[in-house]
Amino acid sequence: MVRGKTRTGKKFIGSEAFWCYLMIAIPIIGFLVLQVYPILWTFKWSFYSYYGVESAARFVGLDNFKTFFTQDFTYWKAWGNTLLFALVKMPLEISFAMLLALALNKKLKGFGFFQAIYFLPHVISTVIVGLILTNMFSYNGIINNLLIKTGVISSRIDWFADRAHAFAMIIIGSIWSTFGINVMYLLAALATVPEELYESAEVDGASKTRIFFSITLPLIAPVFQTILLLSLVGSLSVNEYIIVLTNGGPHGQTNSVMSYLYTKFVPGFMESASTPQLGYGCAMALVTTVIFATVAFLYNKFSNRMKNLY
Amino acid sequence: MRKKQAIINAILYICLTVVLIVTLFPVVYTILASFKTNAEILTNPGSMLPKDPSVDNYVQAWTSESFHVPTLLRNSLIYTLVNVFTTLLVSSMAGYVFARGHFRFKKLIFYCFTALMFIKTGGITIYATFKVLTAIHLDRSLFALMVVHLFGIPIVNIYLIKGNVETIPIDIDEAAKIEGCSFIGIFYRIILPLLKPILATIGILAFNSSWNEYLMPNIFTLTTPGQRTLIVGLMALKSSGASAASWNLMLAGATIAMIPVLAAFAFCNKYFVKGIAAGAVKG
Repeated sequence: MVRGKTRTGKKFIGSEAFWCYLMIAIPIIGFLVLQVYPILWTFKWSFYSYYGVESAARFVGLDNFKTFFTQDFTYWKAWGNTLLFALVKMPLEISFAMLLALALNKKLKGFGFFQAIYFLPHVISTVIVGLILTNMFSYNGIINNLLIKTGVISSRIDWFADRAHAFAMIIIGSIWSTFGINVMYLLAALATVPEELYESAEVDGASKTRIFFSITLPLIAPVFQTILLLSLVGSLSVNEYIIVLTNGGPHGQTNSVMSYLYTKFVPGFMESASTPQLGYGCAMALVTTVIFATVAFLYNKFSNRMKNLY
Repeated sequence: MRKKQAIINAILYICLTVVLIVTLFPVVYTILASFKTNAEILTNPGSMLPKDPSVDNYVQAWTSESFHVPTLLRNSLIYTLVNVFTTLLVSSMAGYVFARGHFRFKKLIFYCFTALMFIKTGGITIYATFKVLTAIHLDRSLFALMVVHLFGIPIVNIYLIKGNVETIPIDIDEAAKIEGCSFIGIFYRIILPLLKPILATIGILAFNSSWNEYLMPNIFTLTTPGQRTLIVGLMALKSSGASAASWNLMLAGATIAMIPVLAAFAFCNKYFVKGIAAGAVKG
Protein backbone atom coordinates (compact mmCIF):
# COMPACT_ATOMS: atom_id res chain seq x y z
CA MET A 1 0.00 0.00 0.00
CA VAL A 2 1.05 3.50 -0.81
CA ARG A 3 -0.30 4.48 2.57
CA GLY A 4 2.41 2.47 4.30
CA LYS A 5 5.11 4.48 2.61
CA THR A 6 3.71 7.79 3.81
CA ARG A 7 3.59 6.53 7.35
CA THR A 8 7.25 5.72 7.35
CA GLY A 9 7.83 9.09 5.73
CA LYS A 10 9.82 7.52 2.93
CA LYS A 11 8.18 9.08 -0.05
CA PHE A 12 5.22 11.36 0.55
CA ILE A 13 5.55 13.36 -2.64
CA GLY A 14 3.89 11.45 -5.46
CA SER A 15 2.04 9.11 -3.09
CA GLU A 16 -1.72 8.68 -3.15
CA ALA A 17 -2.22 10.76 0.00
CA PHE A 18 -0.13 13.51 -1.54
CA TRP A 19 -2.36 13.64 -4.61
CA CYS A 20 -5.47 13.54 -2.40
CA TYR A 21 -4.41 16.57 -0.40
CA LEU A 22 -3.34 18.39 -3.53
CA MET A 23 -6.65 17.75 -5.27
CA ILE A 24 -8.68 19.12 -2.38
CA ALA A 25 -6.21 21.87 -1.52
CA ILE A 26 -8.49 24.59 -2.88
CA PRO A 27 -11.55 23.68 -0.77
CA ILE A 28 -9.36 23.10 2.30
CA ILE A 29 -7.78 26.55 1.97
CA GLY A 30 -11.25 27.97 1.31
CA PHE A 31 -12.60 26.22 4.38
CA LEU A 32 -9.91 27.62 6.65
CA VAL A 33 -9.72 31.13 5.23
CA LEU A 34 -13.28 31.84 4.09
CA GLN A 35 -15.26 29.71 6.56
CA VAL A 36 -13.40 29.03 9.79
CA TYR A 37 -11.69 32.42 10.01
CA PRO A 38 -14.94 34.40 9.47
CA ILE A 39 -16.68 32.31 12.14
CA LEU A 40 -13.88 32.97 14.64
CA TRP A 41 -13.97 36.63 13.60
CA THR A 42 -17.72 36.76 14.31
CA PHE A 43 -17.20 35.03 17.65
CA LYS A 44 -14.50 37.47 18.73
CA TRP A 45 -16.24 40.72 17.78
CA SER A 46 -19.56 39.68 19.31
CA PHE A 47 -18.00 40.68 22.66
CA TYR A 48 -16.98 44.12 21.42
CA SER A 49 -18.48 47.42 20.50
CA TYR A 50 -17.00 47.60 17.02
CA TYR A 51 -17.71 50.03 14.20
CA GLY A 52 -15.22 48.64 11.71
CA VAL A 53 -12.21 50.44 13.20
CA GLU A 54 -10.20 47.99 15.27
CA SER A 55 -8.25 50.57 17.27
CA ALA A 56 -11.54 52.13 18.43
CA ALA A 57 -13.17 48.81 19.38
CA ARG A 58 -14.15 48.42 23.02
CA PHE A 59 -14.63 45.15 24.92
CA VAL A 60 -18.17 45.01 26.30
CA GLY A 61 -18.47 41.41 27.44
CA LEU A 62 -21.99 40.08 27.02
CA ASP A 63 -23.61 43.48 26.53
CA ASN A 64 -24.42 42.91 22.85
CA PHE A 65 -26.28 39.74 23.69
CA LYS A 66 -28.02 41.35 26.66
CA THR A 67 -29.28 44.23 24.54
CA PHE A 68 -31.08 42.17 21.98
CA PHE A 69 -32.34 39.58 24.41
CA THR A 70 -33.86 42.17 26.76
CA GLN A 71 -34.32 45.50 24.95
CA ASP A 72 -34.25 45.37 21.15
CA PHE A 73 -37.06 43.16 19.97
CA THR A 74 -36.89 43.95 16.24
CA TYR A 75 -34.72 40.87 15.70
CA TRP A 76 -37.24 38.62 17.43
CA LYS A 77 -40.10 40.18 15.48
CA ALA A 78 -38.23 39.19 12.32
CA TRP A 79 -38.12 35.62 13.71
CA GLY A 80 -41.87 35.86 14.26
CA ASN A 81 -42.37 36.87 10.63
CA THR A 82 -40.11 34.07 9.46
CA LEU A 83 -42.01 31.44 11.46
CA LEU A 84 -45.33 32.80 10.21
CA PHE A 85 -44.04 32.62 6.64
CA ALA A 86 -42.87 29.01 7.07
CA LEU A 87 -45.98 27.87 8.93
CA VAL A 88 -48.38 29.28 6.35
CA LYS A 89 -46.37 28.50 3.24
CA MET A 90 -45.16 24.96 3.95
CA PRO A 91 -48.48 23.18 4.60
CA LEU A 92 -50.11 24.93 1.63
CA GLU A 93 -47.24 24.25 -0.73
CA ILE A 94 -46.49 20.67 0.31
CA SER A 95 -50.12 19.54 0.20
CA PHE A 96 -50.66 21.28 -3.14
CA ALA A 97 -47.49 19.69 -4.52
CA MET A 98 -48.55 16.30 -3.13
CA LEU A 99 -51.92 16.47 -4.92
CA LEU A 100 -50.20 17.37 -8.18
CA ALA A 101 -47.56 14.66 -7.74
CA LEU A 102 -50.22 12.01 -7.05
CA ALA A 103 -52.07 13.09 -10.20
CA LEU A 104 -48.92 13.19 -12.32
CA ASN A 105 -47.85 9.81 -10.97
CA LYS A 106 -50.60 8.24 -13.11
CA LYS A 107 -48.20 8.93 -15.98
CA LEU A 108 -50.82 9.76 -18.57
CA LYS A 109 -49.84 11.25 -21.92
CA GLY A 110 -48.21 14.67 -21.72
CA PHE A 111 -47.62 14.55 -17.97
CA GLY A 112 -43.87 14.99 -18.40
CA PHE A 113 -44.59 18.33 -20.03
CA PHE A 114 -46.83 19.46 -17.16
CA GLN A 115 -44.14 18.55 -14.67
CA ALA A 116 -41.49 20.46 -16.61
CA ILE A 117 -43.60 23.62 -16.83
CA TYR A 118 -44.46 23.52 -13.11
CA PHE A 119 -40.76 23.61 -12.42
CA LEU A 120 -40.10 26.53 -14.77
CA PRO A 121 -40.49 29.44 -12.29
CA HIS A 122 -37.74 27.88 -10.21
CA VAL A 123 -35.07 28.51 -12.87
CA ILE A 124 -35.88 32.22 -13.06
CA SER A 125 -33.76 34.60 -10.98
CA THR A 126 -35.30 35.72 -7.69
CA VAL A 127 -34.67 39.30 -8.78
CA ILE A 128 -36.81 38.82 -11.87
CA VAL A 129 -39.49 37.05 -9.82
CA GLY A 130 -39.52 40.07 -7.48
CA LEU A 131 -39.66 42.42 -10.44
CA ILE A 132 -42.56 40.58 -12.08
CA LEU A 133 -44.53 40.29 -8.84
CA THR A 134 -43.95 43.97 -8.00
CA ASN A 135 -45.36 44.91 -11.37
CA MET A 136 -48.30 42.49 -11.25
CA PHE A 137 -49.29 43.36 -7.67
CA SER A 138 -48.86 47.13 -8.12
CA TYR A 139 -51.85 49.36 -7.32
CA ASN A 140 -52.87 49.68 -10.96
CA GLY A 141 -51.51 46.26 -11.78
CA ILE A 142 -53.00 43.26 -13.50
CA ILE A 143 -53.81 41.30 -10.32
CA ASN A 144 -56.04 44.07 -8.94
CA ASN A 145 -57.61 44.42 -12.39
CA LEU A 146 -58.40 40.70 -12.60
CA LEU A 147 -59.77 40.59 -9.05
CA ILE A 148 -62.06 43.54 -9.73
CA LYS A 149 -63.22 42.13 -13.05
CA THR A 150 -64.10 38.78 -11.49
CA GLY A 151 -65.84 40.52 -8.60
CA VAL A 152 -63.59 39.16 -5.85
CA ILE A 153 -62.83 42.66 -4.57
CA SER A 154 -64.70 45.93 -5.06
CA SER A 155 -61.83 48.40 -4.80
CA ARG A 156 -58.12 48.15 -5.52
CA ILE A 157 -55.83 46.74 -2.84
CA ASP A 158 -52.49 48.34 -2.05
CA TRP A 159 -50.59 45.09 -1.55
CA PHE A 160 -47.46 46.80 -0.31
CA ALA A 161 -49.10 49.09 2.26
CA ASP A 162 -50.02 46.79 5.14
CA ARG A 163 -48.56 43.70 6.72
CA ALA A 164 -51.43 41.28 6.02
CA HIS A 165 -51.64 42.00 2.29
CA ALA A 166 -47.88 42.13 1.86
CA PHE A 167 -47.63 38.73 3.57
CA ALA A 168 -50.38 37.26 1.39
CA MET A 169 -48.52 38.47 -1.70
CA ILE A 170 -45.19 37.13 -0.44
CA ILE A 171 -46.67 33.70 0.23
CA ILE A 172 -48.58 33.49 -3.06
CA GLY A 173 -45.49 34.50 -5.03
CA SER A 174 -43.26 32.18 -3.08
CA ILE A 175 -45.50 29.18 -3.66
CA TRP A 176 -45.65 30.08 -7.34
CA SER A 177 -41.89 30.05 -7.65
CA THR A 178 -41.10 26.89 -5.68
CA PHE A 179 -44.05 24.46 -5.75
CA GLY A 180 -42.67 22.81 -8.90
CA ILE A 181 -39.49 21.65 -7.23
CA ASN A 182 -41.55 19.95 -4.51
CA VAL A 183 -43.68 18.26 -7.17
CA MET A 184 -40.46 16.97 -8.67
CA TYR A 185 -39.10 15.75 -5.31
CA LEU A 186 -42.38 14.03 -4.49
CA LEU A 187 -42.58 12.36 -7.90
CA ALA A 188 -39.07 11.03 -7.41
CA ALA A 189 -40.22 9.69 -4.04
CA LEU A 190 -43.41 8.16 -5.43
CA ALA A 191 -41.42 6.41 -8.14
CA THR A 192 -39.76 4.32 -5.42
CA VAL A 193 -43.09 2.74 -4.35
CA PRO A 194 -43.58 -0.65 -6.07
CA GLU A 195 -46.63 -0.75 -8.36
CA GLU A 196 -47.74 -4.19 -7.04
CA LEU A 197 -48.43 -2.82 -3.57
CA TYR A 198 -51.15 -0.54 -4.93
CA GLU A 199 -52.65 -3.35 -6.96
CA SER A 200 -52.90 -5.80 -4.09
CA ALA A 201 -54.33 -3.12 -1.81
CA GLU A 202 -56.99 -2.36 -4.38
CA VAL A 203 -57.81 -6.04 -4.68
CA ASP A 204 -58.29 -6.08 -0.90
CA GLY A 205 -60.77 -3.27 -1.33
CA ALA A 206 -58.81 -0.44 0.33
CA SER A 207 -60.04 3.08 -0.45
CA LYS A 208 -57.80 5.64 -2.19
CA THR A 209 -57.36 7.66 1.02
CA ARG A 210 -56.58 4.53 2.96
CA ILE A 211 -53.99 3.50 0.38
CA PHE A 212 -52.37 6.91 0.56
CA PHE A 213 -52.07 7.02 4.35
CA SER A 214 -51.30 3.32 4.90
CA ILE A 215 -49.03 2.54 1.96
CA THR A 216 -47.77 5.56 0.05
CA LEU A 217 -46.95 7.90 2.92
CA PRO A 218 -45.09 5.33 5.11
CA LEU A 219 -43.10 4.11 2.11
CA ILE A 220 -41.98 7.56 1.02
CA ALA A 221 -41.39 8.66 4.62
CA PRO A 222 -37.56 8.73 4.43
CA VAL A 223 -37.57 10.89 1.30
CA PHE A 224 -40.49 12.94 2.61
CA GLN A 225 -38.45 13.67 5.70
CA THR A 226 -35.68 15.12 3.53
CA ILE A 227 -38.15 17.12 1.44
CA LEU A 228 -39.64 18.65 4.58
CA LEU A 229 -36.20 19.47 5.96
CA LEU A 230 -35.19 21.20 2.72
CA SER A 231 -38.45 23.10 2.67
CA LEU A 232 -38.13 24.06 6.34
CA VAL A 233 -34.54 25.28 6.06
CA GLY A 234 -35.38 27.05 2.80
CA SER A 235 -38.40 28.81 4.29
CA LEU A 236 -36.66 29.82 7.50
CA SER A 237 -33.64 31.21 5.65
CA VAL A 238 -35.69 33.13 3.08
CA ASN A 239 -33.69 36.24 2.28
CA GLU A 240 -33.15 37.44 -1.28
CA TYR A 241 -36.80 36.97 -2.17
CA ILE A 242 -37.96 39.28 0.64
CA ILE A 243 -35.27 41.84 -0.20
CA VAL A 244 -36.24 42.08 -3.85
CA LEU A 245 -40.01 42.02 -3.31
CA THR A 246 -40.84 44.15 -0.26
CA ASN A 247 -37.38 44.86 1.17
CA GLY A 248 -38.98 44.08 4.52
CA GLY A 249 -41.61 46.76 4.09
CA PRO A 250 -43.92 48.24 5.16
CA HIS A 251 -41.74 49.46 8.06
CA GLY A 252 -39.85 46.19 8.43
CA GLN A 253 -43.05 44.27 9.09
CA THR A 254 -42.32 41.57 6.52
CA ASN A 255 -38.61 41.16 7.24
CA SER A 256 -37.38 37.62 7.70
CA VAL A 257 -34.43 36.94 10.01
CA MET A 258 -31.97 36.82 7.14
CA SER A 259 -33.30 39.86 5.30
CA TYR A 260 -33.35 41.71 8.63
CA LEU A 261 -29.66 40.95 9.19
CA TYR A 262 -28.83 41.97 5.62
CA THR A 263 -30.70 45.28 5.78
CA LYS A 264 -29.02 46.05 9.11
CA PHE A 265 -25.43 45.00 8.52
CA VAL A 266 -24.48 44.15 4.94
CA PRO A 267 -23.14 46.86 2.61
CA GLY A 268 -25.35 47.35 -0.44
CA PHE A 269 -28.50 46.44 1.48
CA MET A 270 -28.23 48.64 4.59
CA GLU A 271 -30.50 51.62 5.09
CA SER A 272 -27.67 53.76 6.47
CA ALA A 273 -24.44 54.48 4.66
CA SER A 274 -22.19 54.43 7.75
CA THR A 275 -20.79 51.22 9.20
CA PRO A 276 -23.18 49.84 11.83
CA GLN A 277 -22.22 48.38 15.21
CA LEU A 278 -20.73 45.20 13.83
CA GLY A 279 -20.21 43.62 17.25
CA TYR A 280 -23.95 43.70 17.78
CA GLY A 281 -24.45 42.13 14.35
CA CYS A 282 -21.92 39.40 15.19
CA ALA A 283 -23.82 38.57 18.38
CA MET A 284 -27.05 38.29 16.39
CA ALA A 285 -25.36 36.19 13.70
CA LEU A 286 -24.06 33.75 16.33
CA VAL A 287 -27.45 33.36 17.98
CA THR A 288 -29.06 32.95 14.53
CA THR A 289 -26.75 30.14 13.50
CA VAL A 290 -27.24 28.38 16.86
CA ILE A 291 -31.02 28.57 16.39
CA PHE A 292 -30.74 27.16 12.87
CA ALA A 293 -28.52 24.30 13.97
CA THR A 294 -30.92 23.54 16.83
CA VAL A 295 -33.92 23.50 14.49
CA ALA A 296 -32.17 21.10 12.12
CA PHE A 297 -31.09 18.90 15.02
CA LEU A 298 -34.53 18.82 16.66
CA TYR A 299 -36.19 18.20 13.32
CA ASN A 300 -33.94 15.22 12.63
CA LYS A 301 -34.53 13.78 16.07
CA PHE A 302 -38.27 14.28 15.98
CA SER A 303 -38.77 13.05 12.43
CA ASN A 304 -36.64 9.96 13.02
CA ARG A 305 -38.99 9.03 15.81
CA MET A 306 -41.88 9.59 13.39
CA LYS A 307 -40.24 7.25 10.90
CA ASN A 308 -39.94 4.51 13.54
CA LEU A 309 -43.63 4.74 14.30
CA TYR A 310 -44.53 3.43 10.89
CA MET B 1 -66.15 1.62 -15.29
CA ARG B 2 -64.22 2.60 -18.38
CA LYS B 3 -66.37 5.65 -18.90
CA LYS B 4 -65.89 6.69 -15.30
CA GLN B 5 -62.12 6.46 -15.72
CA ALA B 6 -62.29 8.62 -18.85
CA ILE B 7 -64.23 11.32 -16.99
CA ILE B 8 -61.76 11.26 -14.10
CA ASN B 9 -58.86 11.61 -16.53
CA ALA B 10 -60.58 14.52 -18.29
CA ILE B 11 -61.07 16.32 -14.96
CA LEU B 12 -57.43 15.61 -14.12
CA TYR B 13 -56.25 17.14 -17.39
CA ILE B 14 -58.41 20.22 -16.85
CA CYS B 15 -57.10 20.79 -13.31
CA LEU B 16 -53.50 20.30 -14.37
CA THR B 17 -53.97 22.65 -17.31
CA VAL B 18 -55.38 25.37 -15.03
CA VAL B 19 -52.29 25.07 -12.83
CA LEU B 20 -50.14 25.15 -15.97
CA ILE B 21 -51.73 28.39 -17.16
CA VAL B 22 -51.37 30.04 -13.74
CA THR B 23 -47.70 28.95 -13.65
CA LEU B 24 -46.91 30.32 -17.09
CA PHE B 25 -48.99 33.48 -16.77
CA PRO B 26 -46.44 35.77 -15.05
CA VAL B 27 -43.70 34.78 -17.49
CA VAL B 28 -45.85 35.24 -20.60
CA TYR B 29 -47.21 38.50 -19.17
CA THR B 30 -43.67 39.83 -18.70
CA ILE B 31 -42.53 38.90 -22.18
CA LEU B 32 -45.62 40.44 -23.80
CA ALA B 33 -45.42 43.58 -21.66
CA SER B 34 -41.81 44.11 -22.71
CA PHE B 35 -43.20 45.10 -26.13
CA LYS B 36 -45.50 47.75 -24.63
CA THR B 37 -44.70 51.43 -24.12
CA ASN B 38 -44.10 52.53 -20.54
CA ALA B 39 -47.36 54.49 -20.54
CA GLU B 40 -49.30 51.41 -21.57
CA ILE B 41 -47.64 49.27 -18.89
CA LEU B 42 -48.58 51.80 -16.20
CA THR B 43 -52.08 52.72 -17.29
CA ASN B 44 -53.46 49.64 -18.98
CA PRO B 45 -52.00 46.50 -17.48
CA GLY B 46 -55.37 44.74 -17.81
CA SER B 47 -54.84 43.66 -21.38
CA MET B 48 -52.23 41.03 -22.06
CA LEU B 49 -51.42 41.86 -25.66
CA PRO B 50 -49.60 45.09 -26.43
CA LYS B 51 -51.78 47.52 -28.40
CA ASP B 52 -48.98 48.52 -30.67
CA PRO B 53 -46.10 46.07 -30.23
CA SER B 54 -42.66 47.53 -30.77
CA VAL B 55 -39.06 46.62 -30.03
CA ASP B 56 -38.28 50.18 -28.87
CA ASN B 57 -37.68 49.00 -25.30
CA TYR B 58 -35.00 46.60 -26.48
CA VAL B 59 -33.35 49.23 -28.66
CA GLN B 60 -33.41 51.63 -25.72
CA ALA B 61 -32.01 49.01 -23.33
CA TRP B 62 -29.25 48.22 -25.80
CA THR B 63 -28.16 51.87 -26.11
CA SER B 64 -29.08 53.31 -22.69
CA GLU B 65 -26.24 54.84 -20.69
CA SER B 66 -27.40 53.96 -17.18
CA PHE B 67 -28.71 50.49 -18.01
CA HIS B 68 -26.29 49.44 -20.71
CA VAL B 69 -27.35 45.91 -21.54
CA PRO B 70 -24.34 44.88 -23.70
CA THR B 71 -21.92 45.57 -20.82
CA LEU B 72 -24.19 43.92 -18.27
CA LEU B 73 -24.60 40.87 -20.50
CA ARG B 74 -20.85 40.60 -21.04
CA ASN B 75 -20.22 40.72 -17.27
CA SER B 76 -22.92 38.13 -16.60
CA LEU B 77 -21.50 35.84 -19.24
CA ILE B 78 -17.89 36.02 -17.98
CA TYR B 79 -18.97 35.62 -14.37
CA THR B 80 -21.19 32.64 -15.14
CA LEU B 81 -18.76 30.77 -17.40
CA VAL B 82 -15.84 31.16 -14.99
CA ASN B 83 -17.99 29.97 -12.08
CA VAL B 84 -19.26 26.95 -14.00
CA PHE B 85 -15.69 25.99 -14.87
CA THR B 86 -14.33 26.36 -11.34
CA THR B 87 -17.34 24.54 -9.84
CA LEU B 88 -16.82 21.59 -12.18
CA LEU B 89 -13.07 21.53 -11.51
CA VAL B 90 -13.29 21.72 -7.73
CA SER B 91 -16.29 19.46 -7.19
CA SER B 92 -15.14 16.70 -9.56
CA MET B 93 -11.71 16.46 -7.95
CA ALA B 94 -13.07 16.66 -4.40
CA GLY B 95 -15.85 14.14 -5.13
CA TYR B 96 -13.30 11.70 -6.55
CA VAL B 97 -10.91 12.14 -3.63
CA PHE B 98 -13.66 11.60 -1.03
CA ALA B 99 -14.91 8.52 -2.89
CA ARG B 100 -11.60 6.80 -3.66
CA GLY B 101 -8.76 8.42 -1.77
CA HIS B 102 -7.04 6.99 1.31
CA PHE B 103 -5.55 9.65 3.55
CA ARG B 104 -5.59 10.82 7.13
CA PHE B 105 -8.44 13.07 8.28
CA LYS B 106 -10.56 12.17 5.23
CA LYS B 107 -13.69 11.62 7.31
CA LEU B 108 -13.04 14.65 9.49
CA ILE B 109 -12.58 16.96 6.50
CA PHE B 110 -15.73 15.62 4.88
CA TYR B 111 -17.77 16.15 8.05
CA CYS B 112 -16.43 19.68 8.37
CA PHE B 113 -17.44 20.52 4.81
CA THR B 114 -20.89 19.03 5.38
CA ALA B 115 -21.41 20.91 8.64
CA LEU B 116 -21.15 24.18 6.71
CA MET B 117 -24.64 23.58 5.36
CA PHE B 118 -26.02 24.32 8.81
CA ILE B 119 -24.11 27.50 9.48
CA LYS B 120 -26.14 30.62 8.76
CA THR B 121 -24.41 33.80 9.79
CA GLY B 122 -26.68 36.15 7.89
CA GLY B 123 -24.08 37.91 5.78
CA ILE B 124 -22.07 39.65 8.51
CA THR B 125 -19.05 37.45 7.73
CA ILE B 126 -18.64 39.44 4.51
CA TYR B 127 -16.54 41.89 6.57
CA ALA B 128 -14.14 39.06 7.42
CA THR B 129 -14.02 38.08 3.74
CA PHE B 130 -13.13 41.69 2.89
CA LYS B 131 -10.30 41.52 5.42
CA VAL B 132 -8.92 38.41 3.72
CA LEU B 133 -9.14 40.08 0.31
CA THR B 134 -7.36 43.19 1.60
CA ALA B 135 -4.61 40.98 3.01
CA ILE B 136 -3.97 39.49 -0.44
CA HIS B 137 -4.27 42.93 -2.10
CA LEU B 138 -7.45 42.18 -4.00
CA ASP B 139 -9.97 44.99 -4.42
CA ARG B 140 -13.70 44.37 -4.34
CA SER B 141 -14.66 43.51 -7.90
CA LEU B 142 -16.36 40.85 -9.94
CA PHE B 143 -12.95 39.23 -10.37
CA ALA B 144 -12.46 39.10 -6.59
CA LEU B 145 -15.86 37.44 -6.25
CA MET B 146 -14.85 34.80 -8.80
CA VAL B 147 -11.80 34.08 -6.64
CA VAL B 148 -14.02 33.82 -3.55
CA HIS B 149 -16.27 31.50 -5.53
CA LEU B 150 -13.33 29.31 -6.54
CA PHE B 151 -12.50 28.83 -2.86
CA GLY B 152 -16.12 28.18 -1.91
CA ILE B 153 -17.10 24.60 -1.09
CA PRO B 154 -19.73 23.20 -3.49
CA ILE B 155 -20.79 20.55 -1.00
CA VAL B 156 -23.97 19.38 -2.77
CA ASN B 157 -22.02 18.89 -6.01
CA ILE B 158 -19.26 17.08 -4.14
CA TYR B 159 -21.93 14.73 -2.78
CA LEU B 160 -23.30 14.16 -6.29
CA ILE B 161 -19.86 13.36 -7.74
CA LYS B 162 -18.90 11.18 -4.78
CA GLY B 163 -22.12 9.17 -5.17
CA ASN B 164 -21.47 8.76 -8.87
CA VAL B 165 -17.84 7.68 -8.50
CA GLU B 166 -18.92 5.10 -5.94
CA THR B 167 -21.12 3.42 -8.58
CA ILE B 168 -18.08 2.89 -10.85
CA PRO B 169 -16.57 -0.58 -10.20
CA ILE B 170 -13.32 -0.29 -8.25
CA ASP B 171 -11.80 -3.07 -10.41
CA ILE B 172 -11.30 -0.49 -13.16
CA ASP B 173 -9.11 1.56 -10.83
CA GLU B 174 -7.19 -1.51 -9.70
CA ALA B 175 -6.51 -2.60 -13.26
CA ALA B 176 -5.28 0.86 -14.21
CA LYS B 177 -3.09 0.95 -11.11
CA ILE B 178 -1.42 -2.29 -12.16
CA GLU B 179 -0.84 -0.77 -15.60
CA GLY B 180 1.10 1.94 -13.79
CA CYS B 181 -1.49 4.68 -13.70
CA SER B 182 -1.13 7.10 -10.77
CA PHE B 183 -3.98 8.24 -8.51
CA ILE B 184 -4.48 11.46 -10.44
CA GLY B 185 -3.96 9.65 -13.75
CA ILE B 186 -6.88 7.33 -12.97
CA PHE B 187 -9.02 10.37 -12.26
CA TYR B 188 -8.09 12.16 -15.44
CA ARG B 189 -8.01 9.23 -17.87
CA ILE B 190 -10.68 6.87 -16.51
CA ILE B 191 -13.05 8.41 -13.97
CA LEU B 192 -13.55 11.86 -15.49
CA PRO B 193 -14.79 10.60 -18.89
CA LEU B 194 -17.31 8.38 -17.07
CA LEU B 195 -18.63 11.36 -15.10
CA LYS B 196 -19.79 13.30 -18.17
CA PRO B 197 -23.55 12.99 -17.50
CA ILE B 198 -23.34 14.14 -13.87
CA LEU B 199 -20.91 16.91 -14.86
CA ALA B 200 -23.49 18.11 -17.39
CA THR B 201 -26.09 18.22 -14.63
CA ILE B 202 -23.82 20.09 -12.24
CA GLY B 203 -22.72 22.44 -15.01
CA ILE B 204 -26.27 23.34 -15.94
CA LEU B 205 -27.29 23.91 -12.31
CA ALA B 206 -24.17 26.03 -11.71
CA PHE B 207 -24.89 28.02 -14.86
CA ASN B 208 -28.41 28.68 -13.65
CA SER B 209 -27.46 29.74 -10.14
CA SER B 210 -24.52 31.94 -11.20
CA TRP B 211 -26.51 33.67 -13.91
CA ASN B 212 -29.33 34.38 -11.45
CA GLU B 213 -27.18 35.32 -8.47
CA TYR B 214 -27.86 38.68 -6.88
CA LEU B 215 -26.65 39.16 -3.28
CA MET B 216 -22.91 38.56 -3.65
CA PRO B 217 -22.41 40.21 -7.07
CA ASN B 218 -24.28 43.23 -5.70
CA ILE B 219 -21.97 43.50 -2.69
CA PHE B 220 -18.84 43.11 -4.80
CA THR B 221 -19.77 45.63 -7.51
CA LEU B 222 -21.07 48.41 -5.24
CA THR B 223 -18.15 50.68 -6.04
CA THR B 224 -17.68 49.47 -9.62
CA PRO B 225 -21.03 49.82 -11.44
CA GLY B 226 -19.29 49.02 -14.73
CA GLN B 227 -18.82 45.45 -13.51
CA ARG B 228 -22.44 44.80 -12.58
CA THR B 229 -24.08 41.69 -13.92
CA LEU B 230 -27.44 41.89 -15.69
CA ILE B 231 -29.35 40.78 -12.59
CA VAL B 232 -27.58 43.34 -10.38
CA GLY B 233 -28.22 46.03 -12.99
CA LEU B 234 -31.91 45.17 -13.11
CA MET B 235 -32.26 45.39 -9.35
CA ALA B 236 -30.33 48.67 -9.28
CA LEU B 237 -32.80 50.08 -11.80
CA LYS B 238 -35.73 48.82 -9.71
CA SER B 239 -34.42 50.43 -6.51
CA SER B 240 -33.51 53.70 -8.23
CA GLY B 241 -35.78 56.75 -8.05
CA ALA B 242 -36.63 56.44 -11.74
CA SER B 243 -38.10 52.95 -11.42
CA ALA B 244 -41.72 53.92 -12.20
CA ALA B 245 -40.56 55.52 -15.42
CA SER B 246 -38.46 52.55 -16.47
CA TRP B 247 -40.84 49.61 -16.31
CA ASN B 248 -40.43 49.17 -20.04
CA LEU B 249 -36.64 48.94 -19.65
CA MET B 250 -36.91 46.63 -16.66
CA LEU B 251 -39.31 44.23 -18.37
CA ALA B 252 -37.18 44.18 -21.54
CA GLY B 253 -34.09 43.60 -19.37
CA ALA B 254 -35.89 40.86 -17.44
CA THR B 255 -36.85 39.16 -20.68
CA ILE B 256 -33.26 39.30 -21.94
CA ALA B 257 -32.04 37.90 -18.61
CA MET B 258 -34.58 35.08 -18.76
CA ILE B 259 -33.67 33.94 -22.28
CA PRO B 260 -30.47 32.00 -21.42
CA VAL B 261 -31.98 30.17 -18.45
CA LEU B 262 -35.21 29.38 -20.25
CA ALA B 263 -33.25 28.12 -23.26
CA ALA B 264 -31.02 26.01 -21.01
CA PHE B 265 -34.14 24.70 -19.30
CA ALA B 266 -35.86 23.88 -22.60
CA PHE B 267 -32.89 22.00 -24.03
CA CYS B 268 -31.40 20.47 -20.89
CA ASN B 269 -34.55 19.81 -18.88
CA LYS B 270 -33.46 16.21 -18.40
CA TYR B 271 -30.29 17.27 -16.57
CA PHE B 272 -32.15 19.67 -14.29
CA VAL B 273 -34.58 16.96 -13.26
CA LYS B 274 -31.85 14.38 -12.73
CA GLY B 275 -29.75 16.61 -10.51
CA ILE B 276 -32.65 17.70 -8.39
CA ALA B 277 -34.26 14.30 -8.02
CA ALA B 278 -30.89 12.77 -7.08
CA GLY B 279 -30.42 15.49 -4.47
CA ALA B 280 -33.68 14.61 -2.74
CA VAL B 281 -33.67 10.83 -2.92
CA LYS B 282 -30.03 10.39 -1.97
CA GLY B 283 -29.86 13.33 0.41
